[in-house]
This record gives sequence, structure tokens and C-alpha cells, in this order.
Amino acid sequence: MTAPIAELFEAARSDSGLLKVALHVEEVAALAYTTAADGPLTGDDRALARRFAEHERRHAAAFETMLFALTVPVREHAGPDDLDALVPGLRGAGRRETLRALAELEGSAIAGHQLIGRRVGEHALDALRTVAAVMAGGAQHLVVLRYALGDATLTRAFESGS
Amino acid sequence: MVSLSRRQFLGAAGALAAALWAGCGRDDAREKPPSDAEVLSGLLEREQRTLSAMRDGAGGEAIARQDRQHVARLSALAGAAALDRSGGTAIAVKQEGFFAYVEALPKLADPDLRVLAMQIAASEAEHLAALRLDAGEEPVPDAFAGYTLEDGA
Repeated sequence: MTAPIAELFEAARSDSGLLKVALHVEEVAALAYTTAADGPLTGDDRALARRFAEHERRHAAAFETMLFALTVPVREHAGPDDLDALVPGLRGAGRRETLRALAELEGSAIAGHQLIGRRVGEHALDALRTVAAVMAGGAQHLVVLRYALGDATLTRAFESGS
Repeated sequence: MVSLSRRQFLGAAGALAAALWAGCGRDDAREKPPSDAEVLSGLLEREQRTLSAMRDGAGGEAIARQDRQHVARLSALAGAAALDRSGGTAIAVKQEGFFAYVEALPKLADPDLRVLAMQIAASEAEHLAALRLDAGEEPVPDAFAGYTLEDGA
């Protein structure tokens, strides 16, 4: 997990706090893919980034729905400053650096989701299905990003994201 | 035995989460929840079916190698003997395997086992994407690795 994202997840002190961090990271991921599509990526890479940005927005919506059900208000949403904080250097990066940064972001999100799996309270275990489905979507993004980079697509039998 | 039904979630997430956080825990939902060992045994059986499907030639050595590691870890934890079963196409078997891990998560009391199940679920989702890439299909056709609300669920 990248240090900024790890710090956010580690600082969460409640189930709702963990979900808020997960929401924030997914919103930043949507911004990251949009920025990548509007910047250095072209052709198939650009189409991929736009498609994955939409996936990230759906992931964020899933977490926001869960928070809404907990009557936890979501008053703030991620913006450009949050993107710069969690994915420094994305703006102005070249194609490979951009794909690499997106892969690191996906890996960090996966690691964070698994931290939720470890720390969530027993009364909230059923909610892990949603967290796992979001995590799995990110894992599939990771495969495509590795493929685009020319890397091995399957690197670990037990995907931890880190 | 693990249920493989794809029930819930996004559309019903609100009601589900509200009920959960209100304190309707898994112990209230059934009189005797399965033990972690029973949940792992169910996952092991499914993983072995998946491995058989991969051995039949549809998935590639990298996936089969990772599946063998899943079987070995689950066997050690569940204390179960290996089975050998087969059936289904590689993508279909992988998809059902992924669903099984997701469905098993709330049934696991041990946090370490929940993380293990999530790690294997992520791996299974990756296998699905890799299989689709190899087949020339869209590797990530939806945002949630196929885990969606069924009509009427």
C-alpha cells in the first residue's frame, strides 16, 4: 500500500471510518483515471481509462450507499488536491509512469479493502461482500494495467495488492 | 457447505447495511453458523473443481499453478483430504469460484481467514480477467467482477 493511502486506512477507528476512507480512495481513483484519459493516454489506453473511471465511480457509489444506510453523511468528495496527495506525480507523467501509478493505486486500494476485512466488526461482516466485489473489480483492473505495461498479468496466488 | 447463490447487493445495500449495523449479526440469522473449518472445506472442494477445469487445458499454466497454491493452503487450514472433481468451462468455473469466496466471507470468524479468502477472491477475479484477455474478450465487463444483484433476489 502506498504510504498516503496506508495512513488513511490505518487512521480509521470505526467501521464507518473505514468505509469513508474506502469511498475517498475510490473517488480519487475515478479522478486518476479521468486525468490519465485526458492526459498522456491515447487510443486503447484512453478508452480503457475512461471505462475504468466509470467503474471507480460505481465503486464509490457502492460505498456511499453503505454509509447512507448507516446514516453517516458524506459531506465532502475528493478533488484535485486529493488526487495530488494520494497519487503524486500523476499529472505530467508519461504513458508508462501513468499506467504504473494507476496500478499502484489499484494495489493500495486492494490492500485497504483487505484491511477492512480484517478489522470490521462482527456485526458488519455481511457488508464484506460489497467490499470484496469492489476489491475484485480493482484486481481485474490490475490485470489489464499489467497487460498494457507488458508485465506478467498474474503475479501472486494470494493477491494482497502490495 | 457454502451457498453459491448470488444474492443481494448494490440495489439492496442500503437495507442490508442498515440491518447489519443495527445489530442483526450472523448468529441471529441461523441457529448454528458453520465453523470456519466447515466454510474452508466448502471452499476447498470448489477450488479443487476449478483446478480440474484448469488442468483440462482451458486456463494456462500460470493460473493452474496459482490454483494449486490455493488448494494447498486451504487443505492445510481445513485439514481436508484432496478431492478431484471436474466440470464446467474455465471461465464459468472461475466465476462461480469467485462468488463462493465472496459468499463465504461473512461466515468466517477469524480475521486472518477473512483476509485469506479476500486474497484468493482477488486472485480468482484476476484469473477471470486473464482468461478473457486470452480469449480476446473484454477482460473487465463490469465494475464488480460479475457480482451483481439477481432479479428478484
